[in-house]
Amino acid sequence: MDTRTKDKIIAWGFLTPALVVLTAFGLFPIGYAFFVSLHNWRIKRESLVGFQHYGRALGDLQYVLCFALGIVLLWCVSRLRQFLKKRGYSSSLCHLSAVLYVPALWFLVNLGLDGMLETGDPRLYNGFKVTFFYALGTIPLQLGIALSLAYLLFKSLRGKSVFRVMFFLPYVTPVIASAVVFRTIFSPHPSSLANRFWELLGFEGQRWLYESRSIVAVMLQAAGLETYPSWVDSAFPSLALVSIVLYNIWVYVGYDTVILLAGLSSIPQHYYEAAEIDGANGWQVFRHVTLPLVSPTLFFLSMVAVIGTFKAFNHIYILRTPGARDSVDVLSVAIFDQIFEFHNAGYASAMAFVLFIAILAITFLQNRVLGKRVFYGD
Amino acid sequence: MGTNSKLRGRTYLVYIGLGLGGVVAGLPFVWMLMASLMTRGETLRRVFAPESIQWANYLQAWHEADFGLYFENSLIVAAVQVVGTLFFSLLSAYPLARMEFRGRDTVFACILATLMIPETVTMVPNFLTIIWLHRTTPFAWLNSWPSLTIPFMASAFSIFLLRQFMRGVPNELWEAARIDGAGHVRFLFQIMLPLCRAPLLTVAMFTFIGSWNSLAWPLLVTNTPTWRPISVGLQQFVSEAGAEVHLQMAGAVIATFPVLLTYFLIQKEFTEGISMSGLKG
Repeated sequence: MDTRTKDKIIAWGFLTPALVVLTAFGLFPIGYAFFVSLHNWRIKRESLVGFQHYGRALGDLQYVLCFALGIVLLWCVSRLRQFLKKRGYSSSLCHLSAVLYVPALWFLVNLGLDGMLETGDPRLYNGFKVTFFYALGTIPLQLGIALSLAYLLFKSLRGKSVFRVMFFLPYVTPVIASAVVFRTIFSPHPSSLANRFWELLGFEGQRWLYESRSIVAVMLQAAGLETYPSWVDSAFPSLALVSIVLYNIWVYVGYDTVILLAGLSSIPQHYYEAAEIDGANGWQVFRHVTLPLVSPTLFFLSMVAVIGTFKAFNHIYILRTPGARDSVDVLSVAIFDQIFEFHNAGYASAMAFVLFIAILAITFLQNRVLGKRVFYGD
Repeated sequence: MGTNSKLRGRTYLVYIGLGLGGVVAGLPFVWMLMASLMTRGETLRRVFAPESIQWANYLQAWHEADFGLYFENSLIVAAVQVVGTLFFSLLSAYPLARMEFRGRDTVFACILATLMIPETVTMVPNFLTIIWLHRTTPFAWLNSWPSLTIPFMASAFSIFLLRQFMRGVPNELWEAARIDGAGHVRFLFQIMLPLCRAPLLTVAMFTFIGSWNSLAWPLLVTNTPTWRPISVGLQQFVSEAGAEVHLQMAGAVIATFPVLLTYFLIQKEFTEGISMSGLKG
C-alpha cells in the first residue's frame, strides 16, 4: 500500500467518529424535523397532514404567497437598481427606480404580513416580535460597551489582566446560577437590588421581571398618565424583557471585550505611528484607524450574537415569570413549550423549521449588507 | 509638566471607567454571596451584609433540594462529555488542518454549517431519535448518561478552534518527525498533543460550561431524578421554594463553585485560546 492511500485511510478514520455524531445529531435532524412537521406526531407518528401545521403557524396560504411574492419583488427591484447603476444610467433614473420599492413593500406588508398576523399562530408571531426586540436591545449595546472597554483596556496600564479576569467572570459563570441570582435582583420585592437602586435614584419601585406592560407604558404611568392607547403596550418591549436584556448584556460584554482585545492587538503599530505623524487626534485615530481595522472582529461578534439570540433559551426559561405573561417568550421558548407541555412534536417541528428558514434568511442578509462594510485590510 | 498632568488625569478617567465596569460585573456575585449567608428575615429587610454568617444555609440547600445527587450527576456527565469531546475533536481537527485529501474543504464547510443551526431546531428530532435508540438498542438512553453526553461530543466549535491552532504549527516539525520514521498517528499524539495545551484546555472549559448549563435537553430526556443534572435541580428548586431567597442563593453558589474554580485554575490558557477564535485564518 502506498503512502497516499494510507494517508487517506488515516484521514477518514480520524474524521469518522465526529462525522457520525455530527451527522446523526446535527445535520440529519434538519431533514427529520421537516419530515416530522408534515405529520401529526406525539411520541409516535400518527397521520400525514401535509403542510397543515405550516398553515396553522404562518396563516392562510394566500397571505403567505403574497408575502413571498413581496420578497421576490424586493429582490427584483434591488437587482434592477444594481443593473442601472452598473450600466451608468443617470443618477436621477437610479433614484427614481427606488419608487418601485413601494409596491413591493405593499405586497409584503399590506397583502401578506397583515393577513398572516391575523390568521397565523399568535404565539409564533409574538415569538418573532420578542426575539426581534431582544436582538435590537442586546447586540448594539453589548458591542458598544465591549468596544469601549476593550479600547480602554488596550492602552497598556497596570492591572490590565485583573480587569480582564473580572469582566470575563459573568461569561464563565453557569447561566443557570447567574440567572437565578438575577431573578432575585430584578424581583418585585422592595428589598431587591434593582428596586433599592431605583428608589435611591428617587423613582418608585417596579415589578421588573413580573411586569408585562411595555417600558413606555410604565414610563407614562410614572409620569402620571393613567390611560394610554393599547398599541403602546404592543409596540415596545415589556419591562420584564428589558430586565432580561440587561442580564444578557451583563453576561456577554466580557466575552466580546476579550475577543475585541485580540482584534485590537492584531492591528500593526505602524498605522498608529503614521496617524500620529499626520497629526490625527484621539477620536480621528479611533474613527479612521481602529474602527475599520477592528471591523472584521465586530462583524464576527455580531454574527455570533445574532445566532445566539435565536438560540437563547436557558436564562429566559429561568427568568420568565407568570407576571410577564408571553412578553418574554422568544421563539425557542415557544417551541419548547409545544413539545414539553403539549407533547406536540409535529407542530413544534413546523415552528422550528420556520425559525430555521428565518435564521438562514437573516444570516444571508447580514452577510450581504454588513459584510460589504467590513474592511479586511490589504 | 502640563501634558504630564493631563495624561495622568486621563489615566484616572480610564481607571474610573474600567472600575465602574468592574463593579457592575462583580456586584451580582457579591449580592449572591451576601444573600446566601443571611437569615431568611435579613433577605426580606433592606440590609446589605448578614449580621452573623449563616453557613448552615449551604447544608440546608444541599439536603433539601437533593443537590448531592444532582451535583454528582452533573460532574459525571460533564467529565464524560469533556473527555469525549477532546478525543473526537482532536482526531478530526488533525486531518482537516494538516493533511491533503479530496473532500477535505467540503467536510470542513459542512462541519462549520452546523454552527448556524440552533438547538431549538434539532431538539425535537433528536429527542425522537433518542426515543428510537432507547427502544431498538440494548442500551438505556432515556434517563441515563448516553443521551446527555453522546449527542454533544462532536462540537463544530471545538473542531474549528483546534484546527485553527494546528494550522499554525510549523511544518518543519512534521518533516523532522517523518525523517525519524513517525507516521501521522505518532506525530499527532507525541508532538501535536502537547503543543495543543492551550486550545485543548479552552475546548475542555467550553465543554464543561456547556454541559453544566444545559437545561432544555435534560428536561426532555430525563423524567426521574436518577440522572438529572444540577441545572434542572436548581431550576426546580427555584420555582418551588418561591420566597426562600437565602437558600436559592446558597444553591446558586454551590452550582457556580466547580466552574469558577476550574476557570481560575486555567484562566491564562483559556483567555489565550478564546482570543484565537475571533481571528481570521
